[in-house]
Amino acid sequence: MLTAAENERVTRVGPGTPCGNLLRRYWLPACLSSELPEPDGAPLRLRLLGEDLIAFRDSDGQLGLVDAYCPHRRAPLFFARNEECGLRCVYHGWKFDRAGNCVDMPSEPAGTTLQARVKLVAYPCFEQGGVVWAYMGPKDKEPPHPDYEWMRAPDSQRHVSKTFEGCNYLQGLEGGLDTAHSSFAHNNNLTSKNELRLRDKAPRIEVERTDYGYTYSSHRSLGDDGFYVRAYHYFMPTGQQRGHVRTWDGKMTAVPRNFGHIWVPIDDVTTWVYNIHYNCDPHVQLTPELIAEHEAEFGRAPEDIIAGTFRLKRNRSNDYMIDRAAQKTKTFTGIAGVNTQDFALQENMVQGNMEPICDRSKEFLGTSDKAIVAMRRLLLEAIAVVEAGGDPRGLNPASHRSVRAWDNIVPTGADWQSVLAPDLMTQW
Amino acid sequence: MLTVEENVRVTRVGPGTPAGKMFRRYWWPLALSSELPEKDGAQLRVRILGEDLIAFRDSNGDVGLLDAYCPHRRAPMFFARNEECGLRCVYHGWKFDRHGDCVDMPSEPAGTTLQAKVKTLAYPCVEKGGVVWTYMGPKDKQPPEPDYEWTRAPASHRFVSKTFENCNYLQALEGGLDTAHSSFAHNNKLGARDNLRQHDKSPHLDVERTDYGYYYASTRKVDAGKYMRVYHFVMPAQQMRASIIGYEGTRNNPARLDGHIWVPIDDYTVHVYNIMAGPHPEDELELNAVEARETAAGRGKTDVIPGTFRLKRNQSNDYFIDRQMQKTKNFTGILGVNTQDFALQEGMGPICDRSKEFLGTSDKAIVAMRRILLEAIKTNEDGGDPRGLNPSIYSDIRAYDRVIPQDADWKEAMADDLKAKW
Repeated sequence: MLTAAENERVTRVGPGTPCGNLLRRYWLPACLSSELPEPDGAPLRLRLLGEDLIAFRDSDGQLGLVDAYCPHRRAPLFFARNEECGLRCVYHGWKFDRAGNCVDMPSEPAGTTLQARVKLVAYPCFEQGGVVWAYMGPKDKEPPHPDYEWMRAPDSQRHVSKTFEGCNYLQGLEGGLDTAHSSFAHNNNLTSKNELRLRDKAPRIEVERTDYGYTYSSHRSLGDDGFYVRAYHYFMPTGQQRGHVRTWDGKMTAVPRNFGHIWVPIDDVTTWVYNIHYNCDPHVQLTPELIAEHEAEFGRAPEDIIAGTFRLKRNRSNDYMIDRAAQKTKTFTGIAGVNTQDFALQENMVQGNMEPICDRSKEFLGTSDKAIVAMRRLLLEAIAVVEAGGDPRGLNPASHRSVRAWDNIVPTGADWQSVLAPDLMTQW
Repeated sequence: MLTVEENVRVTRVGPGTPAGKMFRRYWWPLALSSELPEKDGAQLRVRILGEDLIAFRDSNGDVGLLDAYCPHRRAPMFFARNEECGLRCVYHGWKFDRHGDCVDMPSEPAGTTLQAKVKTLAYPCVEKGGVVWTYMGPKDKQPPEPDYEWTRAPASHRFVSKTFENCNYLQALEGGLDTAHSSFAHNNKLGARDNLRQHDKSPHLDVERTDYGYYYASTRKVDAGKYMRVYHFVMPAQQMRASIIGYEGTRNNPARLDGHIWVPIDDYTVHVYNIMAGPHPEDELELNAVEARETAAGRGKTDVIPGTFRLKRNQSNDYFIDRQMQKTKNFTGILGVNTQDFALQEGMGPICDRSKEFLGTSDKAIVAMRRILLEAIKTNEDGGDPRGLNPSIYSDIRAYDRVIPQDADWKEAMADDLKAKW
C-alpha cells in the first residue's frame, strides 16, 4: 500500500514533479531508430514525460530532439523543413540545429542580435541497440550512456519493438516485476498440468538490492524435480529483464534468450513499452521465425497492430476482444496475447476520476508482491535522494554492464545462486 | 511576450470574462445569410463567445437569435417549430418571438400571468454584406450597425465564405496581421525569383494607431522600388488587406480587397469569415474567379467536408502534408494558403502559450494589436468605450498594395488608394 500522497509522488512525471525530476536524471528511450529511417526525413512527434517534442535525423544522420514549438511565436515544428542540418520552421523560416542553436533568422533584418539570443530547448540523444536514447535532465548532471548487454549484442541477435499502453508507467512496470501473476493471467493452457508455473502458483520471492536496482528470484517447488528459479533484474528507473531458458513446459530452449521491457512515460496516463528480446548464446543464432513467434505469443504480431501505429487492435475500446467461451475452456483470461492480457489488467486500474493511475491507497499486498514493494521503495528513496541534491542509484553503467537474467531448474538442496552464477554473467 | 495572466485575459471570451465583456460591445458575424435561406426554415445552432444560441429566420424574413434552451425546463430550441413569427418549443408548446417575448404558453391555464413574466434571451440581429450580425452586449450600449466598404459593395463585387478553425481566435488573428510569414509559409513556388515576397523576406513595418485600431504598412525592397502592403486592423478582430497585385507584381484579374473576421466560437475554436471584394467596377467577382481563389486559399468546394465549414485537410490527418512536395515544390508541403495557416495556428495547441515566445521586429503589428486589445479590455472595465464602435471612423477605409518608386513616400503615393470607393 502507498498513501495517496506517496502514490502521487511516484506516478506524476511532468516537468518539475518529484518523480519527473528523478526520471530526468537517466537516459531514456525516445523512439526506435527505425522511426527515423533517413537523413532529412519527416520529423517525428514525441511526447516524453509530459513534454511535447520533435525528433529528427539531420543531414549528417545525427539525431535531434527539440521542443515541439518554435520559440518565436510557438508554431509547431512538426511541419518544419528538415534540411541542411537543421529544422526550419515554416512560419517565418527560423532555423535551429540539433543543439538548439538558431542558425538562421531570415524574417529579421540582416545582422540582428536576436538570433544569438534565441535558443530552442534541445535534449542530447544517442543511438544504440536500435533505440534512440535521450537525456532530459540538468546539463551538468548528464550520466554516461547506459550499457546493457542487449545494446552490445549484434543486430542480428537482437530485436526491439515498441507498444503503446494506455496507463501510468508504474502499473506497467509493476506487472513486469511480478512473476506470480504469470501462473494465472498467462495460463494459456487450462488443461495442462505440466507447465512449470502451474505446478507451484505461490512462488517464494527473494529480493537483493544492487547498485542498479535489484535482482530478484522466484522459487517454485517442482517436488522431486527440484525448484524452478527465475532470476530477474530491475534496472533503475523503469527497466526489467528476465530469462527465457526453460519453455513453459520445462524444456530447454534451443536459443536461450533474455526478454525485457523498459516503460517510458509518455505522460501521467500513457506509456511507451519497449520490448527487448536477445539471444544469450553467441554460438547459436536468433532467427526471424523465433522473433515472429515471440511477438505473436505476446500479442503484437504485425496483424495485431493498428497499421501505422504502435497500438494494439485488442484494446480497451473493445475489451481486448475477450472471448468468454475461451475463458471457460482454454485460457485463464479469455484474451489472446501475453502482454495483451497484461494491458487488459493494467490499463483498467483507474482512479475515481477515471485517470488510469492505480489507486494504491486501496490495495492489499501479500508475500508474492515483495518485488513490487521493493521497487516502489527504491523509486521513492531515489526521489528523495534527488530532492536532497544527491545522485540516484543506477546512473553508472558499470553497475549493470555485466548482468543478465536467467531461469532454470535447480536441484533441491542446492544453492541457487552458485548454480546460476555463471549464467548470470554477460557474454556479449 | 505576454505574461501568463495577460494571455488568459486576452484569450478567454466567455460571458463575464474581461475580453468577453469587451468583445460584447461590438457587432459580430453570427452566420452567413445563406445559412438561413428561407422564412420559417430550419433553425441553426450557433455558438458565439461561448454562448449556445439558436438563429432562425421568422415568417417575415427577419432573423432572431435566442438562447438555445427554452426558459421553461431548458429543452433544446433546435427542435422547436419555426412558425408564425416565432419559435415554438416542442416540449410544451411555449412560443417565443425574435425579441424573446413569450407569445404563447398553451400548457398553462388561459390567462396565466406567467407568460408576461417569462422572457428568453434574445440578441438583436442585422443583415449586411451577406452576413448576419448580432450584438450581445448591454442594451444601453448598443453601437450603430457595422458599415464597412465591403458590406456596401454590390453583390456582384462581394463574396464572403466561412471556415471553422480549431484554436483560440487570437493566434489566428495574429497570423492575419503578419505579412512576414507569407514569405515563408506561403511560398508555394520554391526557387521562384520573380516572387515579390521572396525578394525581401524581412519586411520593414510601420504601424500607425487609429480610432478603429491601426493600419500598418510593410515595405519590401524589390528591383522596381518598394513593394508596399497596407493592412488595417479593425477592432475587435477584423483584418483588411489587398491583393491588387499578385506575387509576381502584375495586377490581379480581378483585383481584390481581402479580409477576415475571426469570430470566437468559444475559447478553443473560431469561425473565420473570409471576405473578398472587387475594388473597382471592372473587378467583378465572377463565380469561376471566386472558386479559383477559394481553392488557392484551400477552401474550394471540394476542399470542404460537405455540409460543414470544416476542411478535409485538417489536424486529424496532418493537413495531408506531402514531405516530398515540401522538399521540391513549396515551403510547407501543404496545399492551400489558409490551410497552411491552420496547420501552424492549430498546431500551436488550443491556446498559444505566449509566455514562452520570443518576438522580433517583424512582429511589430502583432504586438500593437495585442496592446490595443488589452487596453480596450481595461477601458471597458473602467466603464469607458473601447475604440472602433462608431462606423464613421472606419467606414471609408480600404487596404491596398502596390509597388512604388524607391524614393516615394508611401503615405503620399497611396493616399487615394486607401480611400473607400464603394
